[in-house]
Order: sequence, then structure tokens, then C-alpha cells
Amino acid sequence: MNYIIELILKLGKVDRRWIFLMIALVVLIPLLYPISLPIRATATTQQVYDAVEKLPHGSKVLLSCEYSPSTKPEIHPMVVSFLRHCFRNKHKIYITCLWPDGQFMAEEALEEVGKEYDLKYGEDYVLLGFRPGNEAVVKGIVSDLRKLYTIDSKGTKVTEIPMMEGINKFEDFDFLFSGSAGSPGSIDWVQYAADPTGIPMSTGTTSIQVNEVMPYVQSGQVQGILAGMPGAAEYEALIGVKGIGTSGMDAQSVAHLVIVLFIVLGNIGFFIERSREKKHRGY
Amino acid sequence: MNIEIFGAWVAVFLTLAIFSFLYKDNPFYKIAEHLFVGVSAGYWMSMFFWTQIQPNLFGRLWPSSQYSESGVWYRIYDLLGVVAGNVFPDGGIDKGHDLHFIYLIPLALGIMMLLSLYKPLNWMARWGIAYTVGMAAGLRAYGFLSSNVLGQVKGTIMPLVNTELPLFDLVEPSHFNNLVILVGTVTGLLYFYFSKEHKGVFGNVTKVGIYFLMISFGASFGFAVMGRISLLIGRFVDLLKFSGEQYHHASIWVLLLMVILLGYSAYKEKENPEV
Repeated sequence: MNYIIELILKLGKVDRRWIFLMIALVVLIPLLYPISLPIRATATTQQVYDAVEKLPHGSKVLLSCEYSPSTKPEIHPMVVSFLRHCFRNKHKIYITCLWPDGQFMAEEALEEVGKEYDLKYGEDYVLLGFRPGNEAVVKGIVSDLRKLYTIDSKGTKVTEIPMMEGINKFEDFDFLFSGSAGSPGSIDWVQYAADPTGIPMSTGTTSIQVNEVMPYVQSGQVQGILAGMPGAAEYEALIGVKGIGTSGMDAQSVAHLVIVLFIVLGNIGFFIERSREKKHRGY
Repeated sequence: MNIEIFGAWVAVFLTLAIFSFLYKDNPFYKIAEHLFVGVSAGYWMSMFFWTQIQPNLFGRLWPSSQYSESGVWYRIYDLLGVVAGNVFPDGGIDKGHDLHFIYLIPLALGIMMLLSLYKPLNWMARWGIAYTVGMAAGLRAYGFLSSNVLGQVKGTIMPLVNTELPLFDLVEPSHFNNLVILVGTVTGLLYFYFSKEHKGVFGNVTKVGIYFLMISFGASFGFAVMGRISLLIGRFVDLLKFSGEQYHHASIWVLLLMVILLGYSAYKEKENPEV
């Protein structure tokens, strides 16, 4: 018993760089040798899927990309899966970006998914692109989209794009999905677009944002949420096309187990040291 | 070496350079950090200019649809075109706008903000900032009131007795979940009521509120860890991809080189600790 206690105390004093190395290894090994842990959709992911399924074919869906390469591993698989789901159901996709990098992320996602479907730019999808102004852009899309977007990301006038016919403001869309890694993002869409107009929206966010957005999901202001990489993996499982979200889940699960183990050991070490200190002081 | 392979080598170097900070602060990390700051600033500036200022501001002040060579207004434009032909192309800016002189106000406010760099006139920057703050405050007040106050209050008003709901279910709506939301909301709010000392029955109630807050912080921490691991997975997936033959084993070579150089530097430091 004493040996175990001493070992735990020794572990507590180990150089943090060994812990970094261990985390790197537990992430790397499952990526090289996948163990294929089962993935089951949580209720909030299922809600997003059902919301898209409920839309009649040919619905006008607004997709907003608010993420950058730094958060690509979490949001990109969601956006790719969402595009797949929408194109499979023959929905029309309109893409806006509240983050400048979002435009390039959207281009990458479209390139990836575009190969799988016979799509035509301007008829099946349009990339309206980035506009600076944060929540003012959302407000602008709600009141008069044409004033904000006179040209798309390629510089083509929106009046010359066939699928832009009849699209003048946010209420002309049937659904909104926000792939958001922070602010401006999903919360701005809830506050300035979805709530005032009643147009249904769903979101996919980084893990760190989930707690912030979850109250809107609980209250019904947002229809479901794809929560971080697990949310992306669950959505991939629902649409039946595996991607980076699924392949990363083994590493994610193993890394979590190791981190939990470190937390438990750290706490045990802390309590042992505290009780020894108390004894030493003669309490 | 084509551009894709070169890009892969750059990506590998920058990723490993940032990771090298976990060992200790070093020149590789500094290079990556400075590059990131510089490139981001330049990228954002150019993006803002070409997606907003040029098409939506200049495009509304000098639209091609109302271009006339004889007008004074477009003579100024032609003069600007001599200085920056790609920003002010011949014949006006064709971005689908009409002429709106009201956009001279944002142009003036924007110039005032830039004047913060010029000391004698830097007080003018306050006007531009005042406009931005006022506009944002007004816009946000409405959004918060409607979605965060009214929407959230509506979301927490739930029937405590509903025959259609099961008594206990952790995932789907249930009486138990409704009760948790009610108790959590009330006790959490009472914790922030500071006009009465948190003692006795009131103190016990606010203590329940603290527990709810602690659970929320714990969940936030858990999600934060999950997010960071996801990002690490993303970088590792790319590093593994770039370690392949197609990219001439970029990840392996760069990692080896970095480890050797950092090791050599550590060895030298040990030999001459005062350097």
C-alpha cells in the first residue's frame, strides 16, 4: 500500500512535459490503429438531423460558416456532413460567412462534397461570402440581404445568379445552420435572425461553446446542436458517410480516459499530501 | 516540388514549431508566432478592404452606373484612379450599387478613426468609436432582451405536473428534468442576490445554487478539454497525412531536424549556462 501511495505522490511531481508526451501518444496510437468504438447519436444531434429531414425537397437552406483553420477539426466535418445531407435531399444551399476564413473553409467543403453530386454553381448552391460587421451583418441579412450582398464571393452580381431569385431577406429562407466556432456566430443568429423571424435554425459548435449555446437548445430557440467532434461523428453516423469526425473519436475517447485518470491521481495525491501535512502540524 | 508539397512542408514546420513550445520557449516557436500575428493582420486587413470597403463603400460612392466624365464628383474618382487603379478602376466601380452620398458619413468616420495615429488630431477618433459603441450597444440591447431574457424565461416555464411526461428520464423531457431546471434556475439566481446575507435557510438555498454553478463549470471544463483534444487530433491527422511518401515524409524530416537542433541547443546551454 505504501508503495502505491509513494508512486502516486511521485507521479504528482513528474515534469509536465512527460504528461504532454503521454497525451500525444494516446492521441496518436488510436489514429494509427483504430479500435472502432461504437458511435450513437445523442438527442441533440438527432434533433438537427430530424430538422433537416423534415424540410421538403428543394428547400432554401442558409448555411453560415463562422470558423477558421484553427477550429477546422471540429466544425469542418459538421459542415461537410450537413452539405451532404442537404444535397442528398435536393435542398438549395446559400452560404454566408461572418468570419473571413469561413469563406475558404466553405470553398473547401464545397469542393469536397461537390465531387459527389452533380451540382451547378448558382443553381444548386451559391457562396455569398464574407462581410465584416459581426451582428450588423446578421441584422443586414434579416432586413435586406440585397443591400449587403450585391455580389457573391466570385464577384458575380447576385441579380445574375438564378437561385437568388426571390431571396431578398432572411425570411425567404426555410432553414438556417450555423457552423460556429465563437463570436460572431450561432448566438448572434439566434438573437438577430431566428428569434425575431421564427425561421428554424440548428447549429454545430466547438466543444467549448456548447455550454453557452445549450440553453437556447433547451428552450427550443435552436433545433438541436452538433456538439464538437463527437457531434460531428454522430452526424456522420446518421447520414451514413464516415469522415474525420468518426476517425478522431477513438483518439478522443482514449485521451479522455487518460486525462480522467490523471485528474483522479492528482486529486488522490493532493489529499494524501494534505493529510500528511495535517499530521505533521499535529492537528 | 509542386506547390502542394511545399505547402505541406510549411504546414508541418509551423505545426511542430508551435508544439515545440511544450518543451520550452525556443526560436522555432518564436518564428511561428510572429508569422501568425503578421500574416493574420495582413490577411484580415486585405479581406476587410476587398469585401467591404472597396465594393460596399467606394462602390456606393462612385458606382459605374452613374459614371460621367464631366461631373466634378467623378473627376475626384478619376484622380484617385491614377493613384490606385485597381481600387478605383476606369468608369466607376461595378458592384451593382446606386450612388448614395449618405455613405460619405461612414467614410468620414472611418478616416477619423485612422486619425488616432496622428497625435494632433487623434481626438477625432473618438467620434468614430462613439458611433460604433452606440450602434453596437443599441443593437445588442434588443438581442439580449428578446433572446436571452424573454426567450430564456419562456424556456424555463415548464409544467410541473403533466400527465404526458414520464416521471424520470435523463435525456427526454420528464418531471424530474423539469424539477431540476426549476430548482437550478431559482437557486442559481438567488445565489446572485446579495441584499441578504447568505445565512440560515437562505444560505442553504444559495448553497444548492453554488452546486448547480459548479456542475456547470465542470461541464464547461470537460467541454474545453474535449475541444483541445479535438484540435490536437486535427493537427495529428494532418501530420500523419504529410508523413507519407507523397509529401516526401515531411513530418518525419522536420520533426527529426527540430529534435536535433533543440537537443544540440540544450546541450550547448548545459555546457555554457551563462550564454
